[in-house]
Amino acid sequence: MNKRYQALAARVLSRFGDQLTRVESTCGELTYELAREDLVATAQALRNEDGLQFDTLIDLCGIDYLTWGQAEWQTKDATGTGFSRAAQRETVLPEISDTFEPRRFAVVYHLTSVSRNHRIRLRVFTGPDNPPIVPSIVEVWNSANWYEREAFDLFGILFEGHPDLRRILTDYGFIGYPFRKDFPLIGNVEVKYDLTEGRVVYQPVSIEPRTLVPRIIRDDSRYASGQADEAADG
Amino acid sequence: MGLGELTAQNLGLPDNEPAADGSDILQKRGFVVTGIDNVINWARTGSLWPMSFGLACCAIEMMHTGASRYDLDRFGILFRPSPRQSDVMIVAGTLTNKMAPALRKVYDQMAEPKWVVSMGSCANGGGYYHYSYSVVRGCDRIVPVDIYIPGCPPTAEALLYGLLQLQEKIRRTNTIAR
Repeated sequence: MNKRYQALAARVLSRFGDQLTRVESTCGELTYELAREDLVATAQALRNEDGLQFDTLIDLCGIDYLTWGQAEWQTKDATGTGFSRAAQRETVLPEISDTFEPRRFAVVYHLTSVSRNHRIRLRVFTGPDNPPIVPSIVEVWNSANWYEREAFDLFGILFEGHPDLRRILTDYGFIGYPFRKDFPLIGNVEVKYDLTEGRVVYQPVSIEPRTLVPRIIRDDSRYASGQADEAADG
Repeated sequence: MGLGELTAQNLGLPDNEPAADGSDILQKRGFVVTGIDNVINWARTGSLWPMSFGLACCAIEMMHTGASRYDLDRFGILFRPSPRQSDVMIVAGTLTNKMAPALRKVYDQMAEPKWVVSMGSCANGGGYYHYSYSVVRGCDRIVPVDIYIPGCPPTAEALLYGLLQLQEKIRRTNTIAR
């Protein structure tokens, strides 16, 4: 991390140290986690204060951490006949309840300062609420408007204070939130043209879901021999 | 000799009178006798006006086919911005559930006779997005299709070949039954 970013990190830490619940710094990128109650005030300060001046919201997106960190398939065994082509994800889907795991849904904000030429990332978890809810930052960065509609459309995250929160991408009358990990990839309905009714109608999906995760051996003997070569060269 | 020229060969006449002096029957006698079906099909194949219905990357290849190198204009194929003026719809790209009613509406607005060319894997059967929650698994679930062009996306030559196949298909049809 270069000196400019070290100065920025120190500045953010001293200014917002009380609000930040987690601080990450990887690959020269700064990521801060904060509580949703502090989001709007912090965003205002990040935009307005001299030396920070984050005038641009580059991106805003939702995240579902339901299956985060779970591998679909792992093996230490060798095979003479080959593994079958794809792995079945064996996720235990959560029970439908009034609350979520507190660290299931998050909203991520990517900020850029054009005038100062630096960037940071903010992450806000939605907490246990069902539906998940965070305050809207349309008042701070107007570009958040459609991003928040997108996150609402795909993850079902509500943005409190958004001027026009409705679906933006999915079909009119779509039911469900397709980017949630417990949403089936093939969906629940499909369309076809009905000759007798003379219009496009919806019907339950008619095909079987397919396993799509390939079986990949990430760590086999080739890498081990590569390390041995490097050791020999060294 | 261009494809659209009014000649005995293009009208499907038997070439029973090989002109010894090298002149065509039309030029020699000043008139020609043929079946009305042949004239109708000659007219239809020579002016296939497609509805420009680009949905995805296939539309880029469709533009290539229309541009100067492959030049659809020389087949009398001119893209029209209105379904009322179109004879053929090229479904170029991924048809989503949200787009399906609009596609059908445009198809219904086209005047008879009309044909549909399904261009690319997505339009043929969903292709890459076959198992997706938001994509129609083939545009033949929405409109009747005459020609399927494989490819992802099909090259400009493939689309051109598909349109020539459609012309062949039209030539084989008899509008006035005997």
